Amino acid sequence: MLSEVLEITIRSITVSGAATLLASLWGIPIAYSISRSQRLSTILMPVFEAIVGLPTVLVGLILYILLSSRGPLGVLKLLYTPYAIIIGQAILVTPLLVSTSFRVLYHAQEVYGELALTLGATDRQVMHLVLIESFPGLLVSMIMSFSRALGELGVALMVGGNIRGYTRVITTAIALEVSRGEFELALILGAILVAFLIAFSLSLRVLRRMQAI
Amino acid sequence: MSIKLENIWFRYPRSERWTLEGISITFREGEISVIIGPNGSGKTTLLKIASLLYKPSKGSVKLWGRDFWTLDKAERISFRRRLVYIHEKPILLKGTALYNIAYPLLLRGFPRDDALELGRRLLEKFDISSLADKPASTLSAGEAQLTSILRAVAVNPRFLFLDEPLAHLDLKKRSLVTSMMKELAKRGAGLVVATHDYSLAYSISDRVVLLEEGRIAAEGGVAEIFKRKA
Repeated sequence: MLSEVLEITIRSITVSGAATLLASLWGIPIAYSISRSQRLSTILMPVFEAIVGLPTVLVGLILYILLSSRGPLGVLKLLYTPYAIIIGQAILVTPLLVSTSFRVLYHAQEVYGELALTLGATDRQVMHLVLIESFPGLLVSMIMSFSRALGELGVALMVGGNIRGYTRVITTAIALEVSRGEFELALILGAILVAFLIAFSLSLRVLRRMQAI
Repeated sequence: MSIKLENIWFRYPRSERWTLEGISITFREGEISVIIGPNGSGKTTLLKIASLLYKPSKGSVKLWGRDFWTLDKAERISFRRRLVYIHEKPILLKGTALYNIAYPLLLRGFPRDDALELGRRLLEKFDISSLADKPASTLSAGEAQLTSILRAVAVNPRFLFLDEPLAHLDLKKRSLVTSMMKELAKRGAGLVVATHDYSLAYSISDRVVLLEEGRIAAEGGVAEIFKRKA
């Protein structure tokens, strides 16, 4: 049992970590572009903020339709693979990642963007400075997104299929064990999940303090 | 050689009020202009427009005869590199005071060692070498202000815009910064200083501009302006 718990835990962290990195690949550039434009931020930020709480089952359902054998992306044969969960979680956390990164980058643009400009920076040098100075804040955004991905059930269940040894993650394992009446294992997994979330929350506090320095 | 603001109007996004209304003024190299006026009169906004950080809503900013906001990106950077704006609340980067002073030189492609050496020499010149290796986050407000002024001086700007430059300084540092400003003007740089500090205006200005509610209420020699205000 212990080895299975460990395996599920490692898979959960790997899958959600990969999803967060994937979401960061597009989420941070999106947030940076929006932070540079008053017009874009007025139009787009309310949209991203509104969909932060997007129901996970809805994302799971849409992705299921797209990835199922009859769907437009069926040829990729990604359904019921860890890759499908990674893509689904990346989409799920994107609004959260964009909203929180935007706040950090908007502030950094105002302060460091202006400083870099007056010191004679090119556009690329401005971006470099803004990203460097925003790094602790962006890391906070990524950790928040990772926590959201780690704790979600809908996407992992619908496009991952909860296949033992392949796509089973902490949340889908908890759901399965509860449905089987195996509360002991479900509680152990639940405790691990909570422990991780608390650990991430504490690391957030430390990072925020670092950012304030 | 000058920066000429022609009929400048400025309104912040989502604001219905004009912050600046029809400002026309010319700043010249080698001259110290002091902008005074009550809070909210538009001093900082005027400084940021003249230092090319804000684009005016209406009007033009001409540098050496060229309309800045019609130039292409490369030309804008080239013009921006001739002037520096110093914020009222110093903004320093993570790293030491020396790194902060060397930073604009690094932006201009100086080799790291040369940039740091120049920074060190500047710190020595103003007798504050002890700041060199201090992390920026541990500097006092006055030390941070001195660092941000030296960072600007490092690139030998043709124009320097200073927003309340003495705000965080004790008496000793005030006199150091005041003499720095005079020396820069003597070397041919144009200085534009926004301040509430009338004694600073008395001690350094060649010309005083009184700003009220976004308009130039008076402009002239320091004695003339203060006489009119009194």
